[in-house]
Parts: sequence; C-alpha cells; structure tokens
Amino acid sequence: MNNAQPCGYYKVLLDINLTTGEIKKIPIPRKDIENFVGGRGLGMKILWDRLKKPGIDALSPENPLMFMPGPFSGFPIPSASRTVVVTKSPATSPETSPYPHASTVSYSNMGGFLGPEIRFAGYDGIVITGKASTPAYIFIEDDRVEIRDAKPFWGMKTDAFDKTLIKELNNQRFQTCYIGPAGENLVSYACILHTTARAAGRGVGAVMGSKNLKAIAIKGTGMPNVADLPAFNKSLNDVRGVFKGITGGLLTDFWRKSGTAAALQVMSDDGLMAVKNYREGTFDAIEKINAKTAREKAWVRDFACYCCCLACKKSGVIKEGPYKTIVHDGPEYETGVMFGANLMISDFNGLMKAIYDGDDLGMDIISAGNVIGFLMEAYEKGYVTKSDLDGIDLIWGNVDAVLMMIDKINRRDGIGDLAAQGVKAISKQVGRNSEKFAIHVKGLELAAHNIHANPPRALCYATSNRGACHLSGDNIAHQNFVAAVDSLGLCLFASDHNKWMLPGISKSKMANLLTAITGIEWDADKLMETGERVFNLEKMFNLREGFTRKDDSLPDRFFTEPFTMGPEKGAKLDRGEFSEMMDTFYKDRLWDPKTTRPSIEKLEQLGLEFTI
Amino acid sequence: MKENSIASSHEPKTLLGSKPVSRREFISRLALGGSSLVLLTGCSRWVFPEPGATAREKIYEYIAVDYTKCTGCRTCEAVCSAFNNPVSVDGTMIPGPGNPALANIFVHSFNPDVSAPAVCARCADTPCVNACPVDPDPATGRRAIYQDKKYGTIINDPDRCISCGNCVAACSADSVGILAQHPETGRPMRMCTLCDGEPECVRHCPYEALSMIRVTDDHSFYRMSPEEIAEKLSARWYDFSA
Repeated sequence: MNNAQPCGYYKVLLDINLTTGEIKKIPIPRKDIENFVGGRGLGMKILWDRLKKPGIDALSPENPLMFMPGPFSGFPIPSASRTVVVTKSPATSPETSPYPHASTVSYSNMGGFLGPEIRFAGYDGIVITGKASTPAYIFIEDDRVEIRDAKPFWGMKTDAFDKTLIKELNNQRFQTCYIGPAGENLVSYACILHTTARAAGRGVGAVMGSKNLKAIAIKGTGMPNVADLPAFNKSLNDVRGVFKGITGGLLTDFWRKSGTAAALQVMSDDGLMAVKNYREGTFDAIEKINAKTAREKAWVRDFACYCCCLACKKSGVIKEGPYKTIVHDGPEYETGVMFGANLMISDFNGLMKAIYDGDDLGMDIISAGNVIGFLMEAYEKGYVTKSDLDGIDLIWGNVDAVLMMIDKINRRDGIGDLAAQGVKAISKQVGRNSEKFAIHVKGLELAAHNIHANPPRALCYATSNRGACHLSGDNIAHQNFVAAVDSLGLCLFASDHNKWMLPGISKSKMANLLTAITGIEWDADKLMETGERVFNLEKMFNLREGFTRKDDSLPDRFFTEPFTMGPEKGAKLDRGEFSEMMDTFYKDRLWDPKTTRPSIEKLEQLGLEFTI
Repeated sequence: MKENSIASSHEPKTLLGSKPVSRREFISRLALGGSSLVLLTGCSRWVFPEPGATAREKIYEYIAVDYTKCTGCRTCEAVCSAFNNPVSVDGTMIPGPGNPALANIFVHSFNPDVSAPAVCARCADTPCVNACPVDPDPATGRRAIYQDKKYGTIINDPDRCISCGNCVAACSADSVGILAQHPETGRPMRMCTLCDGEPECVRHCPYEALSMIRVTDDHSFYRMSPEEIAEKLSARWYDFSA
C-alpha cells in the first residue's frame, strides 16, 4: 500500500485501449488529485488532457470513456455510492462552430455499488479508449484485467443480460454495468445501466457502444488507506448521526416511502412539471401515476445504494392487465414525468411497461420522453403525418404508440432512425419553426422540471455544461456545490442541499471526512472552490469546441406560450428578465457576458492557466 | 406490505416477552402485529435447553433478517469488517476502515431485486466441525475448527489447521455456505464472532432489518443458502403469473 500523502487514493488509473488490447496502470499526478479530487472533477481534467484539440468525434475511438469514483467511494460513508461517467458528449452540438463534431463535456452519475467496487479492485478510475474489433466486455478482478469476448451477448436487452452475465461470471459479488441494444445502435441518448435500473444517461451509452464495449464486470478485495483513522471513525459516526433522530430511527422516511416519485404530485400541484411537451406545468391526471398509486399498484420493495440511509430506489411488479408479471422499479420522478405526464399518459401499468422497455433497451428516458413528446406535438399540429411516423398514430396518451416508438428508436427503424438523433436533429428535419417547441439546450433534451414559473431552474438548464441538465445547480453557489459533491463520489441527495426539508451531510462534514481520509487540510470553502474549478474547466472545454453565448439559450416556448391551466396559469418567462439574469450570472462568475469566456483573472485564481 | 413490523423493532425482548417462543407462537404473534413478513436466517447461538426440551425445541438466539426492511445497502458488511478487523493506532486497537471483503456477513443481491444477507448459522450439529480431519486435541477435545462453548461461535485454530477446506465444503453442502477459504492461508474465514455478544450489524443497520431474536430452530429458512432464500422471496414478491 502506498502511504505517501494524499492518502485515500491508490493514485492509479486503469487505462484500457480496446484497439490495441493494451492494459496499463497509470499514475495520477498529486496535483490533479489535490485540484480535482476525483469523480467528475478528475474525469474532466483527464478529458482535457486526453483530447488535445477541439472537434473530435464523440463516437470515435479517441474519445475516452471514464468511470470515475471519488475519494469517498469504498468507504462506508452514507451514500458514497456514485460513479461518474465522464466523456465527450455524443448528444450535444453548438449552433455554429468551425468543427463538425463539436460537442460539450458529458458527466453522468449513477448510484449503486460500482464506484465502491472500482476502488475495492484497486483503482481510482477506469479510462477506456479505442474500439474493440468485435464486441467485448472488460473483466476486472483486482489486478487481473481481461478484455473478453461479448459476441454471444451483443443485442441482448439489459434485464436478460444482467442475469446472463452474472451466471457467466459464476459469482454474485461481481458488480456490472452494461449497455443495451440502444447503446449498440448508437442512439445518441443511450445510457449505461447497473443493476438493470440505475443508469448513467445523457448519451454516455452511445460512446460505450461506439467502442464495441458491451459491459464491465468488476470485483475487488482491497481498500484505500486512511490518513487519520481515529478522526475518520469520529467523522463517520458524526455523519451517520445526521440521518438519525434522537431515538435512533432514520429521518429519511420521505425517501424510503416514495423515492423521487414523491415529487410527482408536488411538482404537478405547484405547476413545475413537464406536461404535454412542456406546454403545461400541471397534469390533471397525476393521481393516476403518482407515488401513492405506484405503492398500491406495483412497488414491493425499497432498495438502497452502498451504505446509503435513503433507499430511494423502488422495485415493483405489474400485477394486472396486458403487461402483467413484468418486474421493474416503476416510476421515479424523471421517468414518471417523461413517459407519463409529458406524453399525457395516465395508464399506470402502461407507464410501467414503457419505463421497463426504455431501461431494458438501455435508452435515457428523459431524452426519449422528450423526443416522443415533440413528435406527438408535431403530429397534432400536422407538421408530421401518420406516414412520416410509419403508420403510428402518435396521439397524446397513446401507450401502444409510445411503445412502438421506443422500439423503433432502439432499432433505428424508419422514423426511429431520425428520432434516435435527439429532438434538435428531428426539429431541423421537420422545419416549419418547430424549433420553438423542440425542448433542448445545446442539443440535450430538458428533464422533467418545467420552467415557465421557475427562472432559477431555467438558468440551470441554460448554463449547465453538458446541455440541459436539471441537476447542475440553479445558481453559482449551487453549481459549484454540485460539482464538488460529484467529485467526492457522494450522492447529491445525501448532501444538505435541501436542508430546510431533508437531513443531509453539510460541506464542513464532507471536508472533515476528506481531511481525515487524505491527510490534507480541507474546509468548506476549499471544497466549494474545487467545485468552481471543475465548473470552469468544463466551460473552457466547451468554449474550445466553439460554443458561444447563443448556445446558452432556451426554446421559444417558455417565453411565448404561457401555461393555460393550473396554479401557475399564465406563467411564462420574460425575455428581458432572463437575459438580465444571465448577464448577472456571467458577471458574478467573472465571465465575459458577451462571449461567456472566463476571465484570465478567474482562471488564474483557480489554477486553470493551462486552459488559456 | 406494512412498513412497521414489530419483530424487527430494536426491542424484541419487550415485544416478544422474556420467555422464548416457539416458531408457531412467534409467527402468530407476528400476524397479530400486521401482515409483515419476517424471515429468519443465520441462526446463531445456542442458549440453553429448556427442561425436557427435545432437540427440535432447542432455543437459539438468531440474527434475524426482516427481508421487508432490508434494502441491500451492505452497511452490515462494512461495520462487521470494521469491528472484526481492528487496526492498531498508537498502541490502541480501533475499528478498521470497513473493507466488506473481510466481513463475516455477506449481502447477496439478485435480479429480480432481492437482497439476502448471509451469516454463519452456528449450527447445532456443526457440519463444519464434523468435517475437520484433524484429530481432536486430547486435552481439549477440539479439532482445528470447533464450536466455542460461550456463544456457540465457530473458531479456527490456526496452529493446527491444515487448510484442507473440508469445513468450507461442508458449510456449502449442509448449511448457509458462508464459510470461505482465506485466499492466502487457505484457512476458513467468515465465521460470525457475534462481536462479543453485541453484533455490530444489528446495532448499525440503518433500516432496523437485523435483530437478535430467540426462537427454536425448526423454521423454514433455517440454514438456507442465499440463492434458495432469493428464489423463495422472488416467488412471493414478484411472481404474479398465477
């Protein structure tokens, strides 16, 4: 074991080139660890280092695909379970750029057990480049790393493959992640799944597919060292206590009871939900698909990620009707809205089936629901005809039509081939000002949070570095905070970002843990500065690709078409106010409001001179 | 499924009474408490035979799992490992960082989602001990693996162990299958220590899914492998084909 500081790291990346078959352990410079910590931050630094010029095709062998745990991963810290997949996005594009393959960074974050297991196996991250000549999967058992044949599994859906791979490995203790057919077919919003329902979305599955990589299976027996074990144990007890009441019971019943699906009712009631392709903020049939209904009709069990006290993942089964016996986790907030309210679907079991299909095929349900919502509206408006849609009667609320579309997108058959390229590409093809209701930023589809009545979330979508993202923070402080949490390997839900409502780990408690683990002094401010560094590095990457302020804009719908119903009836965004809010944002970040470029002063302050 | 199960509360003694209960009585009391499903695994320590009790009615203290509460988070693995693999810091032994590979309790997760924690059953008929080929010590009567009198825990004598793996094979064939050979020494590992009578896994389970309960040993999940448990639970929870 390497006892040199910083402790808590192996200071080793597993580097796999699928073209040459070369497998290496490469050292991570101490400076990168101190400045970028791990997870999203360290991944971004490696992405910057590896892609030395702009315009490299995200689906080319050169694009590195990284699985990045953080310094918390592997330790039994509540909810230190996340793995961040970092790569160049296959789903985004600027309005104009000198580079045909220009796109943003991508970071997508999944829970479960993968990140900890990467660290048990002895690595601080896995970097995969190249392209296997035939379908392959990567087998990792501590030091033993092999590129194995996946030809027999190519084409398999994720649920069946999850079972098959574990049988093949003959050991239940392996953690696996994999793509479905959607990733193999390079659907631009394919995802990578783990435990059949935990997903890294937003297109990273297409990058994995482009490498002919079906899966990674990993198991380890090690553990990183700790600089100050007594202090670590003390901090750990302290953090565990955050989630418990005086009598010792958990304070996290909210998560256990309904998971993120609890928000289905609330967001609809408040007029904050994506409904009917973002035309409305309230879904009048929300009771039919909310958490209460899911608990009654499907949910059987609640699950947690590694050492987590929240248990927000559900597991359910369809108990009646044509899709009876299908086992899946059922609606979360995002999946429930994007395949439910956004498509006006109120048939609960139909919604379950659509979610199951989306996950089983390995596509990002946020984007898929957005794409299908756009096509439904275009069909209603007569911009596309039934024959354009290969005979599918894609009217609002039609479950069968949605299931057919999901299947077509996956196979890239007929209209599905265009739909697999995302809503921006479809809108370009459809024309007729349809970009007004093509709901994306920088080519990435918006998530299930509507913004007519939520200007901070509008700013979040417009300025997030991976395109429209609902999780990247509603203001500067929150953006930096999220980037820091994503770099630690911790789950945002277990942080205290929502402290007025839910218990969570504060910045200073995170810093205490990190100090004890690494032996380097950390405090809340330094953690926030790290988040800011990561956010600015991502921005510099995007600028190098040719993104401009024009790309930080929102579709017309939010400014021109007010809600016609619900508590926020009449709400819309004001162009002047939005533009002013954005100006202030750039100025406060010490970025040039015209170009959105960070000032030299800011870059130097953050130690990002190398990007200038 | 009701959320609040009496049996998984941290106060089994007051709820179940101080007198040990038979399985039937135990289950019927559960039924009164709601439709909660408490299944027992990893039975543990032999306590004392009631006067006149038959073999089947021996009373055990079990690490019982309420599968409706277990979320598969594996906190039990980490805290077990931390306690049972202490580290010396400035001459004091303190809990280690909690490497789950060194834990004596293993959570097995399946698709469809079922999580089945497995822990040494401290079986009364000790198949692992019986399988040991080392001659009993004339002074103590112990083989290289033996059952401790105090807690009924299974203990390996590293000085006499010949690393044959017979005990591991016997555990796999006749019981939970938790025992494994140490990758380097070949000696048996993952025998539950009961943490000196106060199991860390029970104390730290965030969902209060683990508890020590006294029951007799004739329940249907006794010594079952995680695979068998998963199959049963999967059928119970997810099978709506009928």
